[in-house]
Amino acid sequence: MKDVYILAIESSCDETSVAVIKNGCKVISNVVLSQMDTHAFYGGVVPEIASRMHIENITVVIDEALTKSGLKMEDIDAIAVTYGPGLLGSLLIGLQAAKTLSYIYNKPLVPVHHIAGHIYANNLEAPLVFPLIALVVSGGHTELVYMKEDYNFEVIGSTLDDAVGEAYDKVARVINLEYPGGPKVDQLAHKGMDTYNLPLPLDDDTYNFSFSGLKSAVINLKHNEEQRGNDLNIENLATSFQNRVVEILTKKTMKALKEYNVKNLIIAGGVSANKGIRDKFNELCIKNNINLTIPKLEYCTDNAAMIGAAGYYAYKIGKRADLDLNAKAVDKLN
Amino acid sequence: MISLFLDTCNSNLIVSLIQDNKIIYKRIEETDKNLSVRLLPIIEECFKECNKSINDIDRVYIANGPGSFTGVRIGVTVAKVIAYSLNKKIIPISELQILASIPNEKNYIVPIIDARRGFVYSSIYDNNLNVVYEDNYISLQELLDYINTNYNIDDFIFVSYDNIDIENIKKPDIDLLKIISKHENDEGVNCHKVNPNYLKKTEAEEKRSDNRN
Repeated sequence: MKDVYILAIESSCDETSVAVIKNGCKVISNVVLSQMDTHAFYGGVVPEIASRMHIENITVVIDEALTKSGLKMEDIDAIAVTYGPGLLGSLLIGLQAAKTLSYIYNKPLVPVHHIAGHIYANNLEAPLVFPLIALVVSGGHTELVYMKEDYNFEVIGSTLDDAVGEAYDKVARVINLEYPGGPKVDQLAHKGMDTYNLPLPLDDDTYNFSFSGLKSAVINLKHNEEQRGNDLNIENLATSFQNRVVEILTKKTMKALKEYNVKNLIIAGGVSANKGIRDKFNELCIKNNINLTIPKLEYCTDNAAMIGAAGYYAYKIGKRADLDLNAKAVDKLN
Repeated sequence: MISLFLDTCNSNLIVSLIQDNKIIYKRIEETDKNLSVRLLPIIEECFKECNKSINDIDRVYIANGPGSFTGVRIGVTVAKVIAYSLNKKIIPISELQILASIPNEKNYIVPIIDARRGFVYSSIYDNNLNVVYEDNYISLQELLDYINTNYNIDDFIFVSYDNIDIENIKKPDIDLLKIISKHENDEGVNCHKVNPNYLKKTEAEEKRSDNRN
Protein backbone atom coordinates (compact mmCIF):
# COMPACT_ATOMS: atom_id res chain seq x y z
CA MET A 1 0.00 0.00 0.00
CA LYS A 2 1.16 3.50 -0.79
CA ASP A 3 2.58 5.47 2.13
CA VAL A 4 0.51 8.42 3.32
CA TYR A 5 2.24 11.60 4.42
CA ILE A 6 0.32 14.14 6.49
CA LEU A 7 1.54 17.65 7.15
CA ALA A 8 0.02 18.72 10.46
CA ILE A 9 -0.30 22.13 12.09
CA GLU A 10 -1.09 22.80 15.75
CA SER A 11 -1.43 26.27 17.32
CA SER A 12 -4.26 25.91 19.83
CA CYS A 13 -2.45 27.39 22.83
CA ASP A 14 1.15 28.52 23.29
CA GLU A 15 3.04 26.09 21.05
CA THR A 16 3.51 26.73 17.34
CA SER A 17 4.08 23.30 15.87
CA VAL A 18 4.26 21.67 12.44
CA ALA A 19 4.98 18.01 11.74
CA VAL A 20 5.17 15.51 8.91
CA ILE A 21 3.81 12.08 9.82
CA LYS A 22 3.96 8.88 7.79
CA ASN A 23 1.04 6.45 7.94
CA GLY A 24 -0.23 7.89 11.21
CA CYS A 25 2.55 6.35 13.27
CA LYS A 26 5.99 7.45 12.15
CA VAL A 27 7.30 10.94 12.93
CA ILE A 28 9.28 12.22 9.95
CA SER A 29 9.66 15.67 11.47
CA ASN A 30 8.09 17.49 14.40
CA VAL A 31 9.02 21.08 15.11
CA VAL A 32 7.63 22.61 18.30
CA LEU A 33 8.22 26.23 19.17
CA SER A 34 7.12 26.78 22.76
CA GLN A 35 6.28 30.23 24.05
CA MET A 36 6.32 29.05 27.66
CA ASP A 37 9.26 31.22 28.75
CA THR A 38 7.47 34.36 27.55
CA HIS A 39 4.17 33.54 29.25
CA ALA A 40 6.00 32.65 32.46
CA PHE A 41 6.65 36.38 32.92
CA TYR A 42 2.91 36.90 33.21
CA GLY A 43 2.11 33.91 35.41
CA GLY A 44 0.11 32.17 32.69
CA VAL A 45 -0.70 32.15 29.00
CA VAL A 46 -1.71 35.61 27.72
CA PRO A 47 -3.95 34.95 24.68
CA GLU A 48 -3.09 38.12 22.72
CA ILE A 49 0.65 37.55 23.19
CA ALA A 50 0.23 33.91 22.14
CA SER A 51 -1.51 34.97 18.91
CA ARG A 52 1.20 37.52 18.17
CA MET A 53 3.95 34.96 18.63
CA HIS A 54 2.18 32.37 16.48
CA ILE A 55 2.02 34.68 13.48
CA GLU A 56 5.66 35.70 13.87
CA ASN A 57 6.75 32.09 13.72
CA ILE A 58 4.28 30.19 11.60
CA THR A 59 6.11 30.21 8.25
CA VAL A 60 9.48 29.60 9.92
CA VAL A 61 8.09 26.52 11.67
CA ILE A 62 6.42 25.21 8.48
CA ASP A 63 9.70 25.67 6.63
CA GLU A 64 11.74 23.91 9.28
CA ALA A 65 9.34 20.95 9.48
CA LEU A 66 9.38 20.52 5.70
CA THR A 67 13.15 20.91 5.45
CA LYS A 68 13.75 18.37 8.24
CA SER A 69 11.34 15.92 6.62
CA GLY A 70 13.27 16.02 3.36
CA LEU A 71 9.91 16.18 1.56
CA LYS A 72 8.29 18.80 -0.63
CA MET A 73 4.70 19.97 -0.37
CA GLU A 74 4.04 18.01 -3.57
CA ASP A 75 4.86 14.78 -1.67
CA ILE A 76 2.29 15.49 1.04
CA ASP A 77 -1.07 13.69 0.78
CA ALA A 78 -3.15 15.88 3.09
CA ILE A 79 -2.95 18.77 5.51
CA ALA A 80 -4.27 18.21 9.03
CA VAL A 81 -4.97 21.09 11.35
CA THR A 82 -6.23 21.62 14.88
CA TYR A 83 -9.46 23.61 14.41
CA GLY A 84 -10.38 23.50 18.12
CA PRO A 85 -10.84 23.59 21.00
CA GLY A 86 -8.35 26.18 22.24
CA LEU A 87 -7.61 29.90 22.22
CA LEU A 88 -9.44 31.35 19.24
CA GLY A 89 -6.78 33.88 18.23
CA SER A 90 -4.10 31.18 18.41
CA LEU A 91 -6.11 28.55 16.54
CA LEU A 92 -6.80 31.00 13.71
CA ILE A 93 -3.11 31.31 12.76
CA GLY A 94 -2.60 27.58 12.23
CA LEU A 95 -6.00 27.27 10.60
CA GLN A 96 -5.43 30.05 8.03
CA ALA A 97 -1.97 28.69 7.25
CA ALA A 98 -3.39 25.18 6.72
CA LYS A 99 -6.21 26.45 4.52
CA THR A 100 -3.79 28.51 2.42
CA LEU A 101 -1.47 25.51 1.91
CA SER A 102 -4.44 23.30 1.08
CA TYR A 103 -5.60 25.79 -1.55
CA ILE A 104 -2.20 26.48 -3.12
CA TYR A 105 -1.18 22.83 -3.38
CA ASN A 106 -4.66 21.46 -3.91
CA LYS A 107 -4.35 19.02 -0.99
CA PRO A 108 -7.24 17.72 1.12
CA LEU A 109 -7.78 19.65 4.35
CA VAL A 110 -8.43 17.42 7.38
CA PRO A 111 -9.89 19.03 10.52
CA VAL A 112 -8.59 17.49 13.77
CA HIS A 113 -10.00 17.93 17.28
CA HIS A 114 -7.20 18.77 19.71
CA ILE A 115 -8.20 15.98 22.13
CA ALA A 116 -8.19 13.41 19.32
CA GLY A 117 -4.60 14.51 18.79
CA HIS A 118 -3.66 13.93 22.42
CA ILE A 119 -5.16 10.44 22.30
CA TYR A 120 -3.37 9.55 19.04
CA ALA A 121 -0.03 10.68 20.49
CA ASN A 122 -0.06 7.11 21.81
CA ASN A 123 -0.21 5.77 18.26
CA LEU A 124 3.30 7.16 17.74
CA GLU A 125 4.48 4.57 20.32
CA ALA A 126 2.48 1.51 19.28
CA PRO A 127 -0.81 1.00 17.41
CA LEU A 128 -3.85 1.65 19.58
CA VAL A 129 -5.64 -1.51 20.71
CA PHE A 130 -9.43 -1.38 20.92
CA PRO A 131 -11.70 -1.03 22.74
CA LEU A 132 -9.94 1.45 24.97
CA ILE A 133 -10.51 4.11 27.55
CA ALA A 134 -8.49 7.31 27.21
CA LEU A 135 -7.91 9.70 30.11
CA VAL A 136 -6.89 13.07 28.71
CA VAL A 137 -5.38 15.38 31.32
CA SER A 138 -3.81 18.73 30.48
CA GLY A 139 -3.83 22.41 31.34
CA GLY A 140 -7.03 22.89 29.38
CA HIS A 141 -8.73 19.48 29.40
CA THR A 142 -9.81 16.62 31.60
CA GLU A 143 -11.80 13.98 29.71
CA LEU A 144 -12.59 10.30 29.85
CA VAL A 145 -13.14 8.93 26.36
CA TYR A 146 -14.33 5.49 25.25
CA MET A 147 -13.19 4.27 21.83
CA LYS A 148 -14.46 1.06 20.27
CA GLU A 149 -12.46 1.52 17.05
CA ASP A 150 -10.19 3.99 15.26
CA TYR A 151 -11.48 7.54 15.20
CA ASN A 152 -14.65 6.71 17.05
CA PHE A 153 -14.88 8.80 20.21
CA GLU A 154 -17.45 8.72 22.98
CA VAL A 155 -16.77 11.26 25.72
CA ILE A 156 -18.10 9.60 28.88
CA GLY A 157 -16.94 12.24 31.33
CA SER A 158 -15.24 15.61 31.50
CA THR A 159 -14.46 18.35 33.97
CA LEU A 160 -17.29 20.62 35.02
CA ASP A 161 -14.94 23.51 35.81
CA ASP A 162 -11.13 23.64 35.99
CA ALA A 163 -8.94 21.20 34.10
CA VAL A 164 -6.50 19.13 36.18
CA GLY A 165 -3.46 21.05 34.94
CA GLU A 166 -5.20 24.33 35.64
CA ALA A 167 -5.92 23.24 39.23
CA TYR A 168 -2.25 22.27 39.64
CA ASP A 169 -1.07 25.64 38.35
CA LYS A 170 -3.51 27.53 40.58
CA VAL A 171 -2.50 25.59 43.67
CA ALA A 172 1.13 26.25 42.75
CA ARG A 173 0.37 29.96 42.71
CA VAL A 174 -1.27 29.74 46.16
CA ILE A 175 1.95 28.32 47.57
CA ASN A 176 4.07 30.83 45.63
CA LEU A 177 5.61 28.52 43.03
CA GLU A 178 6.48 30.12 39.70
CA TYR A 179 4.43 29.39 36.57
CA PRO A 180 4.18 26.74 35.30
CA GLY A 181 3.93 25.41 38.82
CA GLY A 182 2.14 22.11 38.16
CA PRO A 183 5.31 20.03 37.76
CA LYS A 184 6.75 21.67 40.88
CA VAL A 185 3.73 20.62 42.94
CA ASP A 186 4.30 17.07 41.69
CA GLN A 187 7.95 17.21 42.83
CA LEU A 188 7.01 18.56 46.27
CA ALA A 189 4.30 15.94 46.62
CA HIS A 190 6.94 13.20 46.61
CA LYS A 191 8.67 14.76 49.62
CA GLY A 192 5.68 15.32 51.89
CA MET A 193 3.04 13.40 53.79
CA ASP A 194 -0.74 13.39 53.44
CA THR A 195 -1.54 15.37 56.59
CA TYR A 196 -4.12 17.88 55.41
CA ASN A 197 -7.79 17.11 55.39
CA LEU A 198 -8.77 18.03 51.82
CA PRO A 199 -12.01 16.80 50.19
CA LEU A 200 -12.17 14.17 47.46
CA PRO A 201 -13.69 16.26 44.63
CA LEU A 202 -16.95 15.20 42.93
CA ASP A 203 -16.89 11.70 44.37
CA ASP A 204 -20.13 10.59 42.67
CA ASP A 205 -21.43 7.96 40.23
CA THR A 206 -20.71 9.97 37.08
CA TYR A 207 -17.47 10.06 35.10
CA ASN A 208 -17.29 13.83 35.40
CA PHE A 209 -14.64 15.73 37.33
CA SER A 210 -14.54 19.00 39.25
CA PHE A 211 -11.40 20.56 40.61
CA SER A 212 -12.38 24.09 41.54
CA GLY A 213 -13.70 22.97 44.97
CA LEU A 214 -10.44 21.23 45.79
CA LYS A 215 -8.53 24.33 44.68
CA SER A 216 -10.74 26.51 46.93
CA ALA A 217 -10.16 24.13 49.84
CA VAL A 218 -6.41 24.64 49.41
CA ILE A 219 -6.85 28.43 49.37
CA ASN A 220 -9.06 28.31 52.49
CA LEU A 221 -6.66 25.99 54.26
CA LYS A 222 -3.75 28.36 53.62
CA HIS A 223 -5.84 31.31 54.79
CA ASN A 224 -6.97 29.53 58.00
CA GLU A 225 -3.48 28.37 58.88
CA GLU A 226 -2.17 31.89 58.45
CA GLN A 227 -4.98 33.26 60.66
CA ARG A 228 -4.05 30.80 63.38
CA GLY A 229 -0.40 31.72 63.02
CA ASN A 230 0.53 28.17 61.93
CA ASP A 231 3.24 27.50 59.36
CA LEU A 232 1.92 25.84 56.25
CA ASN A 233 3.95 22.78 55.31
CA ILE A 234 3.88 23.11 51.54
CA GLU A 235 5.32 19.66 50.94
CA ASN A 236 2.55 18.07 52.98
CA LEU A 237 0.01 20.32 51.27
CA ALA A 238 1.30 19.26 47.83
CA THR A 239 1.10 15.59 48.86
CA SER A 240 -2.42 15.97 50.25
CA PHE A 241 -3.61 17.82 47.12
CA GLN A 242 -1.97 15.43 44.71
CA ASN A 243 -3.31 12.38 46.56
CA ARG A 244 -6.90 13.66 46.17
CA VAL A 245 -6.39 14.36 42.47
CA VAL A 246 -4.81 10.97 41.85
CA GLU A 247 -7.47 9.19 43.88
CA ILE A 248 -10.42 10.67 41.99
CA LEU A 249 -8.76 10.24 38.58
CA THR A 250 -7.90 6.61 39.25
CA LYS A 251 -11.22 5.83 40.92
CA LYS A 252 -13.34 7.04 38.01
CA THR A 253 -11.02 5.72 35.33
CA MET A 254 -10.79 2.23 36.86
CA LYS A 255 -14.56 2.23 37.25
CA ALA A 256 -14.98 3.10 33.56
CA LEU A 257 -12.61 0.29 32.53
CA LYS A 258 -14.66 -2.15 34.56
CA GLU A 259 -18.10 -0.99 33.45
CA TYR A 260 -17.17 -0.77 29.77
CA ASN A 261 -15.32 -4.08 30.08
CA VAL A 262 -12.18 -2.60 28.57
CA LYS A 263 -8.62 -3.86 29.07
CA ASN A 264 -6.73 -1.01 27.40
CA LEU A 265 -6.06 2.35 29.02
CA ILE A 266 -4.37 5.33 27.48
CA ILE A 267 -3.30 8.43 29.37
CA ALA A 268 -2.60 11.53 27.34
CA GLY A 269 -2.11 15.28 27.64
CA GLY A 270 0.52 17.38 29.38
CA VAL A 271 -0.41 16.25 32.89
CA SER A 272 0.33 12.62 31.98
CA ALA A 273 3.93 13.62 32.70
CA ASN A 274 2.93 13.88 36.39
CA LYS A 275 4.84 11.20 38.30
CA GLY A 276 2.23 10.80 41.01
CA ILE A 277 -0.44 10.07 38.41
CA ARG A 278 1.80 7.76 36.37
CA ASP A 279 2.94 5.74 39.41
CA LYS A 280 -0.55 5.15 40.74
CA PHE A 281 -2.00 4.16 37.35
CA ASN A 282 0.97 1.85 36.75
CA GLU A 283 0.38 0.09 40.05
CA LEU A 284 -3.39 -0.25 39.55
CA CYS A 285 -3.11 -1.41 35.94
CA ILE A 286 -0.65 -4.16 36.85
CA LYS A 287 -2.91 -5.26 39.66
CA ASN A 288 -6.02 -5.31 37.46
CA ASN A 289 -4.35 -6.72 34.36
CA ILE A 290 -4.93 -3.56 32.30
CA ASN A 291 -2.71 -2.70 29.37
CA LEU A 292 -1.55 0.89 30.07
CA THR A 293 0.05 3.21 27.50
CA ILE A 294 1.40 6.72 28.11
CA PRO A 295 3.08 8.69 25.31
CA LYS A 296 6.68 9.84 25.46
CA LEU A 297 7.02 13.14 27.27
CA GLU A 298 7.65 15.14 24.08
CA TYR A 299 4.31 13.93 22.70
CA CYS A 300 2.38 14.55 25.95
CA THR A 301 2.54 18.32 25.65
CA ASP A 302 1.03 20.09 22.65
CA ASN A 303 2.67 19.16 19.37
CA ALA A 304 1.75 18.70 15.71
CA ALA A 305 2.98 15.11 15.49
CA MET A 306 -0.06 13.93 17.45
CA ILE A 307 -2.33 15.99 15.16
CA GLY A 308 -0.70 14.27 12.18
CA ALA A 309 -1.27 10.85 13.76
CA ALA A 310 -4.95 11.59 14.40
CA GLY A 311 -5.17 13.35 11.04
CA TYR A 312 -4.10 10.17 9.24
CA TYR A 313 -7.05 8.20 10.66
CA ALA A 314 -9.43 11.10 10.02
CA TYR A 315 -8.12 11.23 6.44
CA LYS A 316 -8.60 7.46 6.01
CA ILE A 317 -12.27 7.62 7.03
CA GLY A 318 -12.83 10.53 4.65
CA LYS A 319 -12.99 13.49 7.02
CA ARG A 320 -12.50 16.64 4.97
CA ALA A 321 -13.04 20.36 5.43
CA ASP A 322 -13.55 23.07 2.83
CA LEU A 323 -11.78 26.41 2.70
CA ASP A 324 -14.56 27.90 4.84
CA LEU A 325 -13.43 25.86 7.89
CA ASN A 326 -13.49 28.03 11.01
CA ALA A 327 -11.74 27.74 14.35
CA LYS A 328 -13.78 26.76 17.39
CA ALA A 329 -12.75 27.79 20.89
CA VAL A 330 -15.12 25.19 22.34
CA ASP A 331 -16.08 21.97 20.62
CA LYS A 332 -17.13 18.53 21.78
CA LEU A 333 -15.10 15.57 20.60
CA ASN A 334 -17.24 13.17 18.58
CA MET B 1 2.89 41.64 -13.74
CA ILE B 2 0.10 40.24 -11.58
CA SER B 3 -0.41 41.36 -7.99
CA LEU B 4 -2.70 40.03 -5.31
CA PHE B 5 -3.92 42.65 -2.85
CA LEU B 6 -5.37 41.70 0.54
CA ASP B 7 -6.80 43.93 3.23
CA THR B 8 -8.40 42.31 6.30
CA CYS B 9 -7.69 45.04 8.83
CA ASN B 10 -11.31 46.09 9.31
CA SER B 11 -14.77 44.70 8.68
CA ASN B 12 -14.54 45.60 4.96
CA LEU B 13 -12.48 42.77 3.53
CA ILE B 14 -10.77 43.57 0.22
CA VAL B 15 -9.41 40.95 -2.17
CA SER B 16 -8.16 42.27 -5.49
CA LEU B 17 -6.11 41.10 -8.44
CA ILE B 18 -4.23 43.71 -10.46
CA GLN B 19 -2.64 42.98 -13.82
CA ASP B 20 -0.41 45.61 -15.42
CA ASN B 21 -2.05 48.51 -13.65
CA LYS B 22 -5.56 47.29 -14.34
CA ILE B 23 -7.86 45.93 -11.68
CA ILE B 24 -9.09 42.60 -13.02
CA TYR B 25 -10.83 41.54 -9.80
CA LYS B 26 -12.00 43.49 -6.81
CA ARG B 27 -14.19 42.22 -4.05
CA ILE B 28 -15.15 44.28 -1.02
CA GLU B 29 -17.21 42.40 1.48
CA GLU B 30 -18.48 43.29 4.91
CA THR B 31 -17.31 40.28 6.86
CA ASP B 32 -17.83 41.31 10.44
CA LYS B 33 -17.40 38.11 12.44
CA ASN B 34 -16.78 35.63 9.62
CA LEU B 35 -13.56 36.93 8.07
CA SER B 36 -11.82 33.69 9.02
CA VAL B 37 -14.47 31.75 7.09
CA ARG B 38 -14.68 34.01 4.04
CA LEU B 39 -11.11 34.97 3.14
CA LEU B 40 -9.89 31.77 1.46
CA PRO B 41 -13.15 31.09 -0.43
CA ILE B 42 -13.04 34.65 -1.83
CA ILE B 43 -9.40 34.22 -2.89
CA GLU B 44 -10.36 30.95 -4.59
CA GLU B 45 -13.25 32.67 -6.35
CA CYS B 46 -10.96 35.53 -7.40
CA PHE B 47 -8.64 33.28 -9.34
CA LYS B 48 -11.46 31.17 -10.74
CA GLU B 49 -13.29 34.24 -12.08
CA CYS B 50 -10.13 35.66 -13.61
CA ASN B 51 -9.32 32.28 -15.08
CA LYS B 52 -5.93 32.35 -13.43
CA SER B 53 -3.97 30.30 -10.95
CA ILE B 54 -2.50 31.62 -7.73
CA ASN B 55 0.82 30.42 -9.16
CA ASP B 56 0.55 33.20 -11.76
CA ILE B 57 1.02 36.03 -9.27
CA ASP B 58 4.26 37.97 -9.03
CA ARG B 59 3.72 39.63 -5.69
CA VAL B 60 1.38 40.02 -2.73
CA TYR B 61 0.40 43.36 -1.25
CA ILE B 62 -0.83 42.99 2.30
CA ALA B 63 -2.38 45.58 4.58
CA ASN B 64 -0.54 44.77 7.81
CA GLY B 65 -2.37 47.05 10.23
CA PRO B 66 -3.22 48.86 12.30
CA GLY B 67 -6.75 47.63 12.84
CA SER B 68 -8.55 44.69 14.38
CA PHE B 69 -5.75 42.55 15.86
CA THR B 70 -7.41 39.30 14.82
CA GLY B 71 -8.42 40.66 11.42
CA VAL B 72 -4.91 41.85 10.61
CA ARG B 73 -3.48 38.49 11.65
CA ILE B 74 -5.84 36.52 9.43
CA GLY B 75 -4.77 38.43 6.32
CA VAL B 76 -1.09 38.57 7.20
CA THR B 77 -0.98 34.81 7.90
CA VAL B 78 -2.51 34.03 4.52
CA ALA B 79 -0.22 36.51 2.74
CA LYS B 80 2.89 35.13 4.47
CA VAL B 81 2.03 31.54 3.59
CA ILE B 82 1.31 32.48 -0.04
CA ALA B 83 4.59 34.38 -0.36
CA TYR B 84 6.49 31.58 1.39
CA SER B 85 4.94 28.76 -0.64
CA LEU B 86 5.24 30.41 -4.05
CA ASN B 87 8.47 32.24 -3.24
CA LYS B 88 6.97 35.59 -4.25
CA LYS B 89 7.59 39.13 -3.13
CA ILE B 90 5.45 40.33 -0.24
CA ILE B 91 4.91 44.03 0.28
CA PRO B 92 3.28 45.22 3.52
CA ILE B 93 1.27 48.45 3.34
CA SER B 94 -0.07 50.54 6.20
CA GLU B 95 -3.82 50.28 6.55
CA LEU B 96 -3.86 54.00 7.34
CA GLN B 97 -2.17 54.80 4.05
CA ILE B 98 -4.75 52.65 2.26
CA LEU B 99 -7.57 54.61 3.92
CA ALA B 100 -5.80 57.84 2.92
CA SER B 101 -6.06 57.01 -0.79
CA ILE B 102 -9.45 58.74 -1.04
CA PRO B 103 -9.81 61.09 -4.07
CA ASN B 104 -10.07 64.68 -2.75
CA GLU B 105 -9.11 68.31 -3.24
CA LYS B 106 -7.50 68.97 0.13
CA ASN B 107 -3.78 69.05 0.87
CA TYR B 108 -3.78 66.60 3.74
CA ILE B 109 -5.62 63.42 4.57
CA VAL B 110 -6.09 62.09 8.10
CA PRO B 111 -7.13 58.43 8.17
CA ILE B 112 -8.56 57.36 11.53
CA ILE B 113 -9.25 53.95 13.06
CA ASP B 114 -11.05 53.85 16.39
CA ALA B 115 -8.87 52.28 19.08
CA ARG B 116 -11.44 52.84 21.88
CA ARG B 117 -11.28 54.77 25.15
CA GLY B 118 -10.72 58.06 23.33
CA PHE B 119 -7.74 56.73 21.39
CA VAL B 120 -7.28 56.26 17.67
CA TYR B 121 -4.77 54.90 15.19
CA SER B 122 -4.06 57.79 12.91
CA SER B 123 -1.51 59.68 10.81
CA ILE B 124 -1.33 62.48 8.26
CA TYR B 125 -0.66 61.88 4.56
CA ASP B 126 -0.37 64.36 1.71
CA ASN B 127 -2.19 63.90 -1.57
CA ASN B 128 0.60 61.75 -2.98
CA LEU B 129 0.35 59.40 -0.02
CA ASN B 130 3.59 60.63 1.48
CA VAL B 131 3.78 60.46 5.24
CA VAL B 132 3.53 63.86 6.91
CA TYR B 133 2.92 62.59 10.44
CA GLU B 134 3.60 58.94 10.89
CA ASP B 135 1.19 56.19 11.93
CA ASN B 136 0.53 56.47 15.62
CA TYR B 137 -1.61 55.35 18.53
CA ILE B 138 -2.80 58.67 19.95
CA SER B 139 -5.72 60.22 21.77
CA LEU B 140 -8.17 61.85 19.37
CA GLN B 141 -7.94 65.11 21.28
CA GLU B 142 -4.16 65.16 21.07
CA LEU B 143 -4.32 64.52 17.33
CA LEU B 144 -6.77 67.38 16.77
CA ASP B 145 -4.74 69.72 18.96
CA TYR B 146 -1.62 68.88 16.99
CA ILE B 147 -3.33 69.68 13.69
CA ASN B 148 -4.90 72.89 14.97
CA THR B 149 -1.60 74.10 16.40
CA ASN B 150 0.51 73.38 13.35
CA TYR B 151 -1.82 73.63 10.37
CA ASN B 152 -4.95 75.20 8.98
CA ILE B 153 -7.63 72.57 9.57
CA ASP B 154 -9.42 73.65 6.34
CA ASP B 155 -6.58 71.97 4.42
CA PHE B 156 -7.54 68.61 5.92
CA ILE B 157 -9.93 65.81 5.10
CA PHE B 158 -10.68 63.15 7.71
CA VAL B 159 -11.46 59.57 6.71
CA SER B 160 -12.78 56.66 8.78
CA TYR B 161 -15.06 53.64 8.67
CA ASP B 162 -15.76 54.17 12.35
CA ASN B 163 -18.03 56.61 14.12
CA ILE B 164 -15.56 59.30 15.06
CA ASP B 165 -16.78 62.57 16.53
CA ILE B 166 -15.40 64.89 13.84
CA GLU B 167 -17.46 67.11 11.51
CA ASN B 168 -17.52 66.23 7.80
CA ILE B 169 -15.59 63.00 8.30
CA LYS B 170 -15.71 60.92 5.10
CA LYS B 171 -16.15 57.20 4.61
CA PRO B 172 -13.10 55.66 2.90
CA ASP B 173 -13.12 55.37 -0.89
CA ILE B 174 -10.00 53.34 -1.57
CA ASP B 175 -8.04 53.99 -4.76
CA LEU B 176 -6.23 50.70 -5.17
CA LEU B 177 -4.23 51.69 -8.24
CA LYS B 178 -2.93 54.78 -6.49
CA ILE B 179 -1.81 52.67 -3.53
CA ILE B 180 -0.17 50.08 -5.69
CA SER B 181 1.66 52.56 -7.90
CA LYS B 182 2.96 54.16 -4.71
CA HIS B 183 4.50 50.81 -3.76
CA GLU B 184 5.40 49.30 -7.13
CA ASN B 185 9.09 49.94 -6.62
CA ASP B 186 9.17 48.62 -3.06
CA GLU B 187 11.81 45.98 -2.47
CA GLY B 188 9.50 43.63 -0.64
CA VAL B 189 10.23 41.92 2.66
CA ASN B 190 11.37 38.41 3.54
CA CYS B 191 8.09 36.53 4.10
CA HIS B 192 9.20 35.28 7.53
CA LYS B 193 9.74 38.87 8.67
CA VAL B 194 6.35 40.25 7.65
CA ASN B 195 4.25 40.85 10.74
CA PRO B 196 1.28 42.90 11.79
CA ASN B 197 1.99 46.46 12.77
CA TYR B 198 -0.37 46.73 15.74
CA LEU B 199 0.87 50.15 16.88
CA LYS B 200 -0.12 49.07 20.36
CA LYS B 201 1.31 46.70 22.93
CA THR B 202 -0.89 44.06 24.52
CA GLU B 203 -2.59 45.06 27.76
CA ALA B 204 -0.47 42.52 29.65
CA GLU B 205 2.73 44.10 28.33
CA GLU B 206 1.49 47.61 29.14
CA LYS B 207 0.58 46.63 32.69
CA ARG B 208 3.92 44.97 33.17
CA SER B 209 5.89 48.03 32.03
CA ASP B 210 3.62 50.27 34.17
CA ASN B 211 4.47 48.17 37.19
CA ARG B 212 8.16 48.50 36.50
CA ASN B 213 8.06 52.31 36.23
